[in-house]
Amino acid sequence: MDFKSGEKEEALRRQIREFVKEELPSGWLTAMLEEESRDEDWAFAMSIAKKLSKRGWLTMSWPEEYGGKGASLWEQAIYLEEVGYWGIPGTSMGVSGVAWVGPSLVLFGTDEQKEKYLPQIASGEPDGVWCTGYSEPDAGSDFANIRTTAIKEGDEYVINGQKIWTSAAHRARWMWIAAVTDPDAPKRHAGISTIVVDMKSEGITVNPLVNYTGYHIFNEVFFDEVRVPCENLVGEENKGWYQLMRSLGYERGSVGVGAFGYGKRILDELISYAKQTGLFQNPEIRHKLADRAMDIETAKMLAYQTIWKMSKNVIPVYEPSRDKVFNDIVTERLALTGTEIMGGYSQLDPLNRDSRWTKLQGCVEGLYWLFPGIAIAAGTDEIERNIIAQFGLKLPKSY
Amino acid sequence: MDFGFSKDQKMIQKSVKDFLDKECPTDKVRELEEDELGYDPAMWKKMAELGWMGIAFPEEYEGTEGDITDLMIMMEEMGRVLLPSPFFSTVALCSLPLLEYGSSEQKKNFLPNIASGSEIWSLALTEQSAKYDTSEIGLGATLEGNEYILTGSKLFIQYANVANYLLVVARTGGKGEGEDGITLFIVDKKSPGIGIEIMPTTAHDKQCEVTFDRVKVPKSNVLGEVGKGGDIVNFILQRGAILKSAEMLGGAQAALDITVEYAKQRIQFKRPIGSFQAIQHKLADMATGVEGLRYLVYAATWELSIGSPSNLKISMVKAKANEVYQRIGIDSIKIHGAIGFTKEQDIGLYYIRTKASQFAMGDSGFHRERMATELESYQPPKL
Repeated sequence: MDFKSGEKEEALRRQIREFVKEELPSGWLTAMLEEESRDEDWAFAMSIAKKLSKRGWLTMSWPEEYGGKGASLWEQAIYLEEVGYWGIPGTSMGVSGVAWVGPSLVLFGTDEQKEKYLPQIASGEPDGVWCTGYSEPDAGSDFANIRTTAIKEGDEYVINGQKIWTSAAHRARWMWIAAVTDPDAPKRHAGISTIVVDMKSEGITVNPLVNYTGYHIFNEVFFDEVRVPCENLVGEENKGWYQLMRSLGYERGSVGVGAFGYGKRILDELISYAKQTGLFQNPEIRHKLADRAMDIETAKMLAYQTIWKMSKNVIPVYEPSRDKVFNDIVTERLALTGTEIMGGYSQLDPLNRDSRWTKLQGCVEGLYWLFPGIAIAAGTDEIERNIIAQFGLKLPKSY
Repeated sequence: MDFGFSKDQKMIQKSVKDFLDKECPTDKVRELEEDELGYDPAMWKKMAELGWMGIAFPEEYEGTEGDITDLMIMMEEMGRVLLPSPFFSTVALCSLPLLEYGSSEQKKNFLPNIASGSEIWSLALTEQSAKYDTSEIGLGATLEGNEYILTGSKLFIQYANVANYLLVVARTGGKGEGEDGITLFIVDKKSPGIGIEIMPTTAHDKQCEVTFDRVKVPKSNVLGEVGKGGDIVNFILQRGAILKSAEMLGGAQAALDITVEYAKQRIQFKRPIGSFQAIQHKLADMATGVEGLRYLVYAATWELSIGSPSNLKISMVKAKANEVYQRIGIDSIKIHGAIGFTKEQDIGLYYIRTKASQFAMGDSGFHRERMATELESYQPPKL
């Protein structure tokens, strides 16, 4: 056992903090998930993405030939932790390019695809912004139930159907779509493929879905006879589901550290705020903050354990699900403790974070409004618990 | 960063596990609940022969030069099988402060006898208030000539019934410059004036009331410095909290394993109940709880092993252990259904130990306050 962070990682941490000091406004603090919403926030996020790219950090874990640095999992973990803590925008380029489209293309893409798409993402340019088309009206948790079809006609796929809850579709240049290429497959998992779709294609309609706090994060996307060249198929036809399962563990394995970094920042802000306002002397408040500190430390250890496992070349099976569920629990508790501390001020609109009444730039109320969404996105907590039970504890399948 | 055990540590884990699986099945635990001593002297002797008691001692005190990580590994295994023994009180709570703060004569006198298993120790800290804060210490010690006279009583003192020595936390004065008025005494249990009464705890785990009626203790039996015992108590709490949490981790993991197995076997509606999401989600949360606790315990143990303990982290660990062990105890019984409520099922053995474990080395309220105190001086990272 050794729980010391490496020197290389700590040096990187210092560099990132220097970057934050130079490039972000003093006292910068963001509410999660908001950068896609407003034009000025998006423009700022993209300008930071460009700068992160110049430092080689944006896609640091990718191979050097595709614009990465071949950074270790630990370096990437420190980077994501700091990104979460300081609220560095622009790090995901939409929601998917950096996190899973790139790594999946490295695993399954053709050389032409790698050469075309990876440098775009790695450069932090608008052409490197991606969205992901998985969910549909009748395929949420039951992802294999997707109905959008991509039927081969000559050297093209013709796509028809609808995607929903597509984050950043209104910002994206490309969509990473899962569609049914074999509607007659004996098992529905066996008829799915992943395809790259140019969002400028004819027949695509993007409608905004505004959430209850007024953020425009996700969208519904309609496909009406959208024609995509066959060369846009990623990996093997009808193997999309299996490719996805294989890359998913790796992709999601690093998510925990970012969530830990973000939670730690909120906790630190709350502790400072409670001290400034005298609330920290209230036994109930100080004990709740102590509990939250314990929760955050636990989240950190779980996230690091997942990274450690991956660093030993073991594909994490249930650990990312474990980390997701636990982070969601912690986020919820943090939001509840936080809004309790903010009291009446927790009603303020985080989109008006510059108002003179807003405390901590609205990050606490932002968290409170958004945490149910965080718990749903990328696999609901209920689905994640099924995975823990079935793959971690080897219990019989429930459905 | 490395979450794994070394080869040697794995070997210790395996040998302790193998021994306990053989020597301490749950029948043994039940038998010892009814036993007057509350432990098995024959098994105790074998444990000593295997070098368990002196694992953290240097060779000169008949030890094998191991460290706190080895002890943590052992405690986890003991918690797994619910071993009833004075190991925690003797080794974790008394031998470690003796090793750290004892005079060379004290160490020479006492440590080899602990290593050989011939002497049992018990820490006498908590009193009627049932709290671990040193401010609650009321048992008085006054100097008369070359002796201290101890008067007062201690409560929840585990294995005082079989102890040869008591490590007594007493009040020798008020707060003064550089002093906290707390002093620790090594007390021979044969000393006149000591009364022992076993408390009727549900787990029959031999927690005692110990009364001191003008008990004479020679000056030479002061551990560390007079009036500066607060640091020693903190030292004990740091190690004790981590090692107790390791024991709880072992218990929590075992209770989870038993319950997962039961959920796979028990058929209702023609299916194993473990195939139902209502059961699966409980078990998933239990598993996440145990794993979170596991890595908190490991990381804090490592910090102790490199000599940089943090009270914040240590209190997090014990508060987490308290939360997880209780939750798993409750949900394990619920998943078992009515049968879990019976004396014949092992799962109840774990549940009835949750309260003793939560109390030992500080309940969650105590540790939350310790965490909050540490957070008062916490400074977030600056740019």
